[in-house]
Amino acid sequence: MNDFFFFLLDNLKVFWNYTGFANVEMGHIIMILFGITFIFFAIRYEFEPLLLIPIGFGILIGNVPFDLSANLEIGIYEEGSVLNILYQGVQKGWYPPLIFLGIGAMTDFSALISNPKLILVGAACQFGIFGAYIISLQLGFAPTEAASIGIIGGADGPTAIFLTSKLAPHLLGAVAISAYSYMALIPVLQPPCMRLLTTKKERLIRMKPARMVSQSEKIIFPIAGLLLTAFLVPSGLPLLGMLFFGNLLKESGVTRRLAETARGPMIDVVTILLGLMVGVSTQATTFLTAASVRIFGLGALSFIIATCAGVLFVKFFNLFLKKDNKINPLIGNAGVSAVPGSARMSQIVGLEYDSSNHLLMHAMGPNVAGVIASAVSAGLMLGFLY
Amino acid sequence: MNKLSSYAILFLALFSFTNCSNRISNPPLVINEVLVINEENFVDDYGRRSGWIEIFNNTAKTQDIGGYYLTNDKSDPKKYPIPKGDVLTKIAPHHHVLFWANNKPYQGTFHISFELDPDRENYIALFNESGEKMIDEVTIPNGQLADQSWGYKMDGEKYAQDGTLLLTLLDKVTPSTNNFTLDKNEKVEKFRQNDKFGASMTITSMLVVFGALILLYLVFRTSGKVSSKLKQKKGERLSISKEGVTTSSGPISGEVLTAIFMALHEDQNEIHDFENTTLTFSSVNKNYSPWNSKIYGLRELPRR
Repeated sequence: MNDFFFFLLDNLKVFWNYTGFANVEMGHIIMILFGITFIFFAIRYEFEPLLLIPIGFGILIGNVPFDLSANLEIGIYEEGSVLNILYQGVQKGWYPPLIFLGIGAMTDFSALISNPKLILVGAACQFGIFGAYIISLQLGFAPTEAASIGIIGGADGPTAIFLTSKLAPHLLGAVAISAYSYMALIPVLQPPCMRLLTTKKERLIRMKPARMVSQSEKIIFPIAGLLLTAFLVPSGLPLLGMLFFGNLLKESGVTRRLAETARGPMIDVVTILLGLMVGVSTQATTFLTAASVRIFGLGALSFIIATCAGVLFVKFFNLFLKKDNKINPLIGNAGVSAVPGSARMSQIVGLEYDSSNHLLMHAMGPNVAGVIASAVSAGLMLGFLY
Repeated sequence: MNKLSSYAILFLALFSFTNCSNRISNPPLVINEVLVINEENFVDDYGRRSGWIEIFNNTAKTQDIGGYYLTNDKSDPKKYPIPKGDVLTKIAPHHHVLFWANNKPYQGTFHISFELDPDRENYIALFNESGEKMIDEVTIPNGQLADQSWGYKMDGEKYAQDGTLLLTLLDKVTPSTNNFTLDKNEKVEKFRQNDKFGASMTITSMLVVFGALILLYLVFRTSGKVSSKLKQKKGERLSISKEGVTTSSGPISGEVLTAIFMALHEDQNEIHDFENTTLTFSSVNKNYSPWNSKIYGLRELPRR
């Protein structure tokens, strides 16, 4: 009877050692609180809920502590575990191109095609990426790490994940969380910069309505877009190829089912997996470092630089444009590729000053140009540093 | 039209920069390193020394050389058939395999049926499964010194950009490992040393990003103008009636407006798929079976 009692006690001790309570550290608690905050903001304020809920819940999953020495093959960093297999899509960078396929299939580039000069605003916003790159270098980050931090300024989560998985995989969690968090915080970060850098007169500029774009032009766009950009920057091929392919599925008019799958169920599935795995990858032991805190700071800075660069570029561009052809600088912020969040911001701020001046369709031009430009920038940095 | 021709010239100029030269490409499988006289060098599994030939997979996919042929005789390309079915003949991307030239093929897959001759130049070639297509060949010059190997400084890089053969006496002998190893990522080191402030990266990248998007801008500006002109011409053609009277200035009928709104509605909802709308009539043959009879599926109400 005594033996049985000791055996039972031993069993309970072993069980206790397996539990999260026995293995919990302060880092886990902090990360769990982070996860709950993400979920709260997503539900309460609807800040990018499609991303923040999977990421937030992923943080909870990733920070449930367990006994690593038990070799249970359940952790994301344990080779062969289910989570590890799902994480391969992030680590090897094949989720982001699939997301780009969906983005291509859901994006209407006609705003860009009808007013192609807005493409250049998308290019100007890439200063955010390289501004943050310069600052990161000065703060002592290696060039590969600085590039991964800089890409946060592209405001494009999949691109940031794709580049970081290649150049600085150890920063993947911090960069991905930072990129998606700031995309959710666009309504907080962008309007002050837009107001600060524009005069009231500029905010009231009315832009000419966009012309109708023919079906042929829409079909030519993905083909010419791919050939021109990918020939110049082949290292961006996985992203650019999928983006333009998705768009051709949409615009060809004969592959409706494929386009619907790409922009519907497929992108949803990949978004779920990508968001969740990014969250899970933020285990306290690997995530809670001083570098992560600096990455968060630099990420915000790169967003701000990108926004300012876009607005200032439009003001500069206006110097060369005829009076009736001027661009409202409030669409300059939309050159970051957070589609359609930043274009929506142009519309909201524009309406504050003129309730009948709708900037949304004009802002979609630089917005989608930003997607192309950030993929090109990522390809360039990959080519230079990988 | 002048603008159009200037764009055409711009594109021609751009494409003239493209590299369409007949650059000799490196083979997918390269005879990467050869050691003819082995006195104090690498030892095989049997504890013996002999000359060896290293083959490098120059591609990004696994290559199985089982069934291929190694030879030192141009007139006999099938001299040593590399056995099929050996898992070790599968060479991972950018990996190597080593063959012992000891004329003892009975000792295993990697012991070939000829030796390297220290007293004359050695021709070595790798042929494909049919023995007809030569994949790579190399000639190691006569007068070899012991324990010195010939090969390519950079693994798999047989030719320089101008087509010069890069075969050379190597500084160090590296059987089954890379001829060139990196301590650091050279590209990153270059940036670390020469671009401390990130200015070079920023300027280059911004120029390329702007360049790429300016190209897109020019293409779509041109295509937009062409499209508008075509539309205009089409419109003009349609608006001229048989009597030569234009109808575009007249009031638009209700039917036309309906058609326009319908088209807009379809466009916005992307209902522009070309569906197969062929209607067919074909009789459906159903063989009778009590299992699919409705009578047996119905419940009879209880009789009072």
